[in-house]
Amino acid sequence: MSGSSNSEGVDTNLTPMLDLVFQLITFFMLVTNFKGAAMDLSLKLPVLGSARPLEWSGKNEPLMINLNSTGKIRSEGRDHEIDPFIQREARFVKLQLRAAGTDYKEGDDLPVPVILRADKDVKFATLNQVIRTCQEVGYRQFSLSAMNRAE
Amino acid sequence: MSRRHRKKRGSGNVELNLAAMLDMAFQMLAFFVFTFKPAPTEGQLTMNLPPPVAITNVDQKPDPSNAGGGNGGSDENTLHIFITANDRGDADVVKIGLRPISKGMLNKVALRTLSDELKTMFGDALIPFDRIQLAVDPRLRYDELMKVVDVCTKQKLPSGQLLQRISFVEIPEGAAP
Repeated sequence: MSGSSNSEGVDTNLTPMLDLVFQLITFFMLVTNFKGAAMDLSLKLPVLGSARPLEWSGKNEPLMINLNSTGKIRSEGRDHEIDPFIQREARFVKLQLRAAGTDYKEGDDLPVPVILRADKDVKFATLNQVIRTCQEVGYRQFSLSAMNRAE
Repeated sequence: MSRRHRKKRGSGNVELNLAAMLDMAFQMLAFFVFTFKPAPTEGQLTMNLPPPVAITNVDQKPDPSNAGGGNGGSDENTLHIFITANDRGDADVVKIGLRPISKGMLNKVALRTLSDELKTMFGDALIPFDRIQLAVDPRLRYDELMKVVDVCTKQKLPSGQLLQRISFVEIPEGAAP
């Protein structure tokens, strides 16, 4: 009888554990990057020590192009043909610019950079097709992605 | 009196049930642990890519319709680099204008030579180059191209600014200079 009353009295202090768990949550919330979902992490990028993180403070998100070694653009888990994909994205950006009330006119350069993540085995002909199509629809600022060091 | 006594006892007995909050916190923790992917150490080479210009013979007078060039710039301000490739997609010959700079794989020595040549050309204020046009073999692999682009983007113009204007053109098959 007395034993059972003792076990009822045992009370674990959960406060330190809760403190610790909240600290872990804070850590993961701060380091989690949901934009990484737009990247195709299966691509093998070239390695260049001088590549620097992109500093972009514009209102519009950069256009991210994942170009795989088969010559297709990978986006949202699907492969897309180069020209239709870029033209569709450019139309969308132009609509956004007009809706935002900017003084963008048809034929102006698009104030949005293109981040080109191409597999290191992509041939120049494919890469050039992407760049040419982007230039035709008005993109001028390009960032070519590379790894800072081999993984 | 009795009322006051009851109030005291009531405030002393307030106990927060932390178990529910701990359950929720663990669920959030599990979510973040499972969705966490360390960001790759990825960087960018930022550049302005204007449309390419036509390559003209140096002996010819510049095309007036192209002079000034708007976005495209003029040919006289453009330094042309030619890169041919072998069947495996590796760089074969790199030329500045018609002058060969390297033959074979783009190793450190070849890239250093290219860098020194470019430094000399862009360091001379009398030579009005402000952009580079890379004429590239369509077979060249992206990682080989990036080695050359990397060297180009490190060049400084006489004004002290880093060179950012680079354009690309494809060398038609069998038309390498």
